[in-house]
Amino acid sequence: MEHSGPDIRCTGVAKTFGGGTTTLEAVAPLTLDFAAGQMTALVGPSGCGKSTLLRMIAGLEVPSAGQITLGGQTPQHMQRQGALAMAFQDASLLPWRSVRGNIALARKLARMTPDADAVEDMIARVGLSGFEDARPAELSGGMRQRVAIARCLITQPRVLLLDEPFGAVDELTRTRLNLELPPLWQASGTTALMVTHSVREAVALADRVLVFSSRPARVVGDIMIPPEARDDKAGQLALTEQVNAALAQGWADDSAQAHPWAAQ
Amino acid sequence: MISALRPHVALEPALRHGLGVLFILALWQAAAMGLAGRYMLAGPVEVVQHILTHHALLGRALWVTVQNAAWGFVAGNLAAIGLALIVALVPQARMLVAALALVVFCLPLVATGPILRVLYGPGPGPQITLAALAVYYTTFIPLLVGLRAAPASWFDLIRLYGRGAWTVFVQVRVMASLPYLLAGLQIAAPAAFLGAMVGEFTGADRGMGVLALRAMRGLDVEATWAIALIAAAVSMLAYGVIGWVAQTNAGARPEILMAPPPAPARGSILSRGMKTLALVAITATLVIGVWWALMEVFSLSRFFAKRPDDVWRYLITAPNAGANRAVLWAATSASLEQVIPGYLAGLALGAVTALLLTLAPALAGGVLPLAIALRSVPIVTTAPLIVLALGRGAAGTITIVAVMTFFPALVACLQGLRQAPGQVLDVMRLYATNPIARLWHAQIPAMLPAFFAAARLSVPAAILAVTVAEWLATGRGLGALMALTASTSDYNLLWSAIVVVTLGACIGYGLVSMVERAVLARVAPEQLRS
Repeated sequence: MEHSGPDIRCTGVAKTFGGGTTTLEAVAPLTLDFAAGQMTALVGPSGCGKSTLLRMIAGLEVPSAGQITLGGQTPQHMQRQGALAMAFQDASLLPWRSVRGNIALARKLARMTPDADAVEDMIARVGLSGFEDARPAELSGGMRQRVAIARCLITQPRVLLLDEPFGAVDELTRTRLNLELPPLWQASGTTALMVTHSVREAVALADRVLVFSSRPARVVGDIMIPPEARDDKAGQLALTEQVNAALAQGWADDSAQAHPWAAQ
Repeated sequence: MISALRPHVALEPALRHGLGVLFILALWQAAAMGLAGRYMLAGPVEVVQHILTHHALLGRALWVTVQNAAWGFVAGNLAAIGLALIVALVPQARMLVAALALVVFCLPLVATGPILRVLYGPGPGPQITLAALAVYYTTFIPLLVGLRAAPASWFDLIRLYGRGAWTVFVQVRVMASLPYLLAGLQIAAPAAFLGAMVGEFTGADRGMGVLALRAMRGLDVEATWAIALIAAAVSMLAYGVIGWVAQTNAGARPEILMAPPPAPARGSILSRGMKTLALVAITATLVIGVWWALMEVFSLSRFFAKRPDDVWRYLITAPNAGANRAVLWAATSASLEQVIPGYLAGLALGAVTALLLTLAPALAGGVLPLAIALRSVPIVTTAPLIVLALGRGAAGTITIVAVMTFFPALVACLQGLRQAPGQVLDVMRLYATNPIARLWHAQIPAMLPAFFAAARLSVPAAILAVTVAEWLATGRGLGALMALTASTSDYNLLWSAIVVVTLGACIGYGLVSMVERAVLARVAPEQLRS
């Protein structure tokens, strides 16, 4: 079924953890727009606040300041509509449920009618036919991530949030998952945000790459990936260099701020 | 070819175990024959002969006790589940519910038994209640750990679809806590049998406890050994069956069963002290309130069901309060003389044995299941055997207390030692670090949380052991005092003794928790719950 995701607007969004003397500014006020139906990759140093931003958009963290809307609605409204889906770095499958049970659970949580055929079809689409009754402990890391993506997609979400979903699998498996899984949601017009540490992955999959500085995150690069660049190796290489240059610039700015004498 | 060989391969360990059991039986028989006349030791042949001769009587008694234990097991575990559910759904109530549960767990079974007998009259009521009291805490604590033991992303998954605490509870917490519940039930099964037997000591007309008491008083060595053996076998069987059910249905056994104590609260020493004092005051008020309310609601006779103010009058304001306190203090100090060395010796021996076994890992693999099995042997059956062997003096009582604390400490330490991170040990091996240094730097810090969990839970267990020993054998201390006052209907003194023992157990538990916190904060701060 074709459907289009909403645009996402973050206006002056900030997040501070803790209180008293031990506060941590995870996200400094950020204003960002994500176009409907687009896939955006968020790259930046570890701990810069990318995942916190993603979790605020998912409604799992409440911003300390600012506002987030998805198609004009709050994240909590979207949650209740069953319009959100999120994949985590560890697959976060419930160990006592089978592959089938884990995928079907998402429909139940999203208050959708059970649909055994849709679940079977989704298992086939992520390449896990024959493993319907397997428990997570019986699957490889890559297979578990396939289940996690299937669990996301079974509710036909309008917004898909991916928090380094393939970060914990080996490079070969990751390449294969990146080839096989994104087409499953790319055709549906879902608005997708993906946190990743792999610049190559970001350039290969996303329509746009946002580059962040270290904590508190500032946007130091906003690079659009034209569709024609996907099949053009030279173009991809150039875009990869562009993202790397933005990361390096952000790192240099951070160093200059932390060690002012280094810039002299 | 390979498949044809397989049965022999499978048979080998079974054969070895069989030979091991035969060897132990032969040693036992030889010891009984060699020590005949000097020690009260019955050999396996005499014990089997006794069981065969009296199989009808023993069978009937066993059936009664198993029924009592089973009802108590159900009631106690339902109570534990209920309390854990309250804590899971109202997290603010956690500290208070845990404190109240601890107070009830610290009640001395030896004294509550006679009072329950008066309250219930004849019948299985006291046995079932004592079995329930013996099991609920060891299920409640793992269940509390289990209800909290789930990765944050599972909760995120539920919240992502706008679902609330109830869905989290049903979809995640209940299932995630199942292995913990089953592990708790496994420890509870032998404890229920113990509780039922203590209940039967207090004036029941049927059951294994009644036979044990008769055999003890008549110095019937064969009967005492036969009853101990049957009770041990039944307890181990119950432990094994629940373990098997857990393994086949709930997957892996949880690594950490008992919760570490809460991390030191933030703020100054003064504010932390005030918080602790406030909790103690609220708990004490609630305990006194519930105690008083129960007596009044059920209109229990003031003759045997003493109220808090009766105990206050008896110990503080009555004209002869000083003499009353002196009687109680004499008994308390007599008990303390035996329980403290026994408790410390049991813990130390458990920890040292576990440490020595890590230096011989091949041996440790075999000792753990054996120690787990022996831990489930009820103390009321071993106590008479130890008294028969070592006499009615201090040595026997201290040994009984030490045995009671030794096995839980050994099992906890062996399990704790397994928690040492494999990669850290690999790094140490890489530098050819000697085993003692590995123990000191990696394995002992990993073992300490489990050791202290065992040390905390062993406080009420040690008190149970010393009071049972004093009651059944030595005639000194609080155990004997409680038994005597129950039979002479001196209920003021009995209730005062209950208050002293419960308070003592709670203070002991609190002291161990304080030491635990101080030690863990130094050597394993990551183990303290935040």
